[in-house]
Amino acid sequence: MTGGIYKKPVLFAIVATVVILIGTMVTMFIPMLTSQMHPRLEDLKPFTAIQLAGRDIYQREGCNNCHTQTVRPLKTEVMRYGEYSKAGEFAYDRPFLWGSKRTGPDLARVGGKYPDAWHYRHFENPQAFFAESNMPAYGWLKGKKLSPSDMESHMKAIGFTYSVEEISALSEKDELDALVSYVQIIGASVKKKPAPAAVIEEKEHVTNPFAGDLKAIESGEKLYAANCAFCHGPNAKGDIGPDLTDDEFLYVKGDVSDDDYFEIINNGTAPGMVEEGRTAKGGMPSFKDSLDRNERWSLVAYIRAIQVKGAQK
Amino acid sequence: MNDYQYDNGTVKGFIVSSIFWGVVGIIVGLWISIQMWSPAWNIPPYFTFGRLRVVHTNGLALGLGVGAIFGICYYITMRLTKRPLLFPRLARFHLYLFNAAITLAALSLFAGMNQSLEYAELEWPLDIGVVVLWVIFAVNIFGTIIKRKEEQMYISLWFILATVVTVAVLYIVNNLAVPASLFKSYSIFAGVNSANVQWWYGHNAVGFIFTTPILAMFYYFLPKSTGLPIYSHRLSIVAFWSLVFAYLWTGAHHLVYTPLPDWIQTLGIAFTIFLIAPSWGSVVNGFYTVGADWSQMRNNYLTKFFILGITFYGLQTIQGPTQGLRIVSQLIHYTDWVPGHVHMGTMGWVTMTVAASIYYIIPKIYNTEIHSVKVANAHFYLVLTGQLIFSITMWFTGIQQGALWKATNPDGTLKYTFMEGLIKNYPFWQMRTVGGLIFTVGMLFFIYNIYMTVRKGKALAASSI
Amino acid sequence: MINDTDNLEAFEAKETVNKLPVSWLILFWGLILWGIYYFVSYTPSISGWSQEKAYEESIRK
Repeated sequence: MTGGIYKKPVLFAIVATVVILIGTMVTMFIPMLTSQMHPRLEDLKPFTAIQLAGRDIYQREGCNNCHTQTVRPLKTEVMRYGEYSKAGEFAYDRPFLWGSKRTGPDLARVGGKYPDAWHYRHFENPQAFFAESNMPAYGWLKGKKLSPSDMESHMKAIGFTYSVEEISALSEKDELDALVSYVQIIGASVKKKPAPAAVIEEKEHVTNPFAGDLKAIESGEKLYAANCAFCHGPNAKGDIGPDLTDDEFLYVKGDVSDDDYFEIINNGTAPGMVEEGRTAKGGMPSFKDSLDRNERWSLVAYIRAIQVKGAQK
Repeated sequence: MNDYQYDNGTVKGFIVSSIFWGVVGIIVGLWISIQMWSPAWNIPPYFTFGRLRVVHTNGLALGLGVGAIFGICYYITMRLTKRPLLFPRLARFHLYLFNAAITLAALSLFAGMNQSLEYAELEWPLDIGVVVLWVIFAVNIFGTIIKRKEEQMYISLWFILATVVTVAVLYIVNNLAVPASLFKSYSIFAGVNSANVQWWYGHNAVGFIFTTPILAMFYYFLPKSTGLPIYSHRLSIVAFWSLVFAYLWTGAHHLVYTPLPDWIQTLGIAFTIFLIAPSWGSVVNGFYTVGADWSQMRNNYLTKFFILGITFYGLQTIQGPTQGLRIVSQLIHYTDWVPGHVHMGTMGWVTMTVAASIYYIIPKIYNTEIHSVKVANAHFYLVLTGQLIFSITMWFTGIQQGALWKATNPDGTLKYTFMEGLIKNYPFWQMRTVGGLIFTVGMLFFIYNIYMTVRKGKALAASSI
Repeated sequence: MINDTDNLEAFEAKETVNKLPVSWLILFWGLILWGIYYFVSYTPSISGWSQEKAYEESIRK
């Protein structure tokens, strides 16, 4: 590389362009022409009009500045969030919304994790759930009507099929409805596999090692306030989730044993899941990976204690 | 008609504009740094973190960064080609269009028009505006260089030419989209492929906005302000070509452990680590250059800026590649480590070098001396302190976040909930705001110093008539 | 007219124009060699390593 090229600006620019295009071709352009960059999972469906409207709002509000949408194939990450992300999940994402910073938690597996009501309330006031959360409130999206004609042109531009009813139904919905619809569909194409079990739980009936233990009940009360109160209410009288103090378990009267409570805290619930012959409606997340064994048993002890109190009245 | 001899007016216009947008970007930066630990500072709909963060990044990258690049590259090109710009009126139009585009860009981002592509957030009508701006820049730079009055092209011109062609390719490809309306479009790329295109763009936007044009400034103003010649021409050649060749392979280091095919990630990481060598080519060249007379570090206030700037560039280009490694990425990716890294580059390297270049240019244009070396020194130490507080607190909290996220109890369960981890960031995030404030005060010293120098220059010109 | 033209001669040192510091050359070639090693070791079609396999292994432990 001698002097000549540094006296010929046009030649220099051409050479520089060729030099930058080599890496571009190998790592970006050629892969794009192959099928490995365009995988699609069998269960993946294009967004519906309201889901796309929600995704537009997610983009508009810059949610991806604080939330990622990709779970890495790393042990603790799969424990925390769920099954790691698959290339075929994102075929309809134009563009991808993986993000690059987790000021808030990853959302790749948030779809279906909580009931809609949880999201509405959390969007309106995140601090009511987690007092020290730094998430901005999005209650102001409520009452902001969607525009069916805008969404029709968006669906056309992105190339998704839609029905006339689907579009006209949007006029009844507001932006918060759309955002919740979108959040609930994130990651839906991947079958929910339970996270890798940290410890094998006993299948036989086990009694609570802390039953009636006052210290455990006391720590259970704190754990309840931090983990359960926003769905089951401050006094466990039920709210988004069912009443825990009455004589029902999974909507059927009649008591069950401590380890059934323990199981539900471990695994959460999924619609149609059967426990002790009772069918769950779903909506409760698993606490297996966020609370250790003693903490989970302490919670059961606390719940039993407030049930006893309720029964004595 | 000496008025247009060197088109100084356009250069000044770009410098003043870039400082103005820099102030806007820094104020928004302070604001969002407070929102990180106090959500009450979110004011919907226009001033929530999600919208303001992109105003911050675009305001500084496009407003301060690209504005300064336009102005200073014009300045350098004219002097190295020994002639005025080929199209002076076009350059003046360029300046007006630049400010119009940045104004609209800021407003559109406040309004939430956002493609969700990092550093390519602007919607399609503004993308067209940016492309027009870039074409005007390219036409003037190429035209002026082709019609130059000096046969040889100095190193700075290589970097400027590489910047002009590469940014054009990057920006156009990554912004290809199908418009759904004037304010909304959908990328023509989907899923994994869109991620790959975006980070091919995103990383090289850093390379060809925050690296090559700044190196052009470094290679020009270091010898100009110190009187010391660049140590090795050959080293510049090898470093230049290996830098522009290797950069384009590395985007995938932003996508480590994502569903992007492993081989692309691996190739990206391998080239990323290699980038240490060409980057350090320039660092070594800078050190050896000033090595001929280290006393300049004490006696010449500009030398400090350039040498500290290139030192941060050197640290940046070791830290950055290291972050690409899978084992490091596992721990620090998605944490505050990364903004800590970015801000060492932008506050330590880019702003330091740009400010020093402006300190050199303004007195030259006005035929005077800098208003106060003392104020410049105060500026130097304030931005240095602010940046170090910023970066170091973010590295600490980043490592802490990464460690808390993967910590497990003896029975294998996760030790901390996400919220427990988040709470531990607050003291660090508050310290970051303090660091940002100190940096901002430093920048105010800079602006004051430039303002007073311009005033002195104008008074001088008036009295000499 | 134009009063501050640049003397290109003054920009670059004469005696050291072709110098490439040895330490830097070692870095340059060393990193190329390391890059080849890394590419061979972590490309699934060459070494058989993949991030999925690495994950499966980590949860079996």
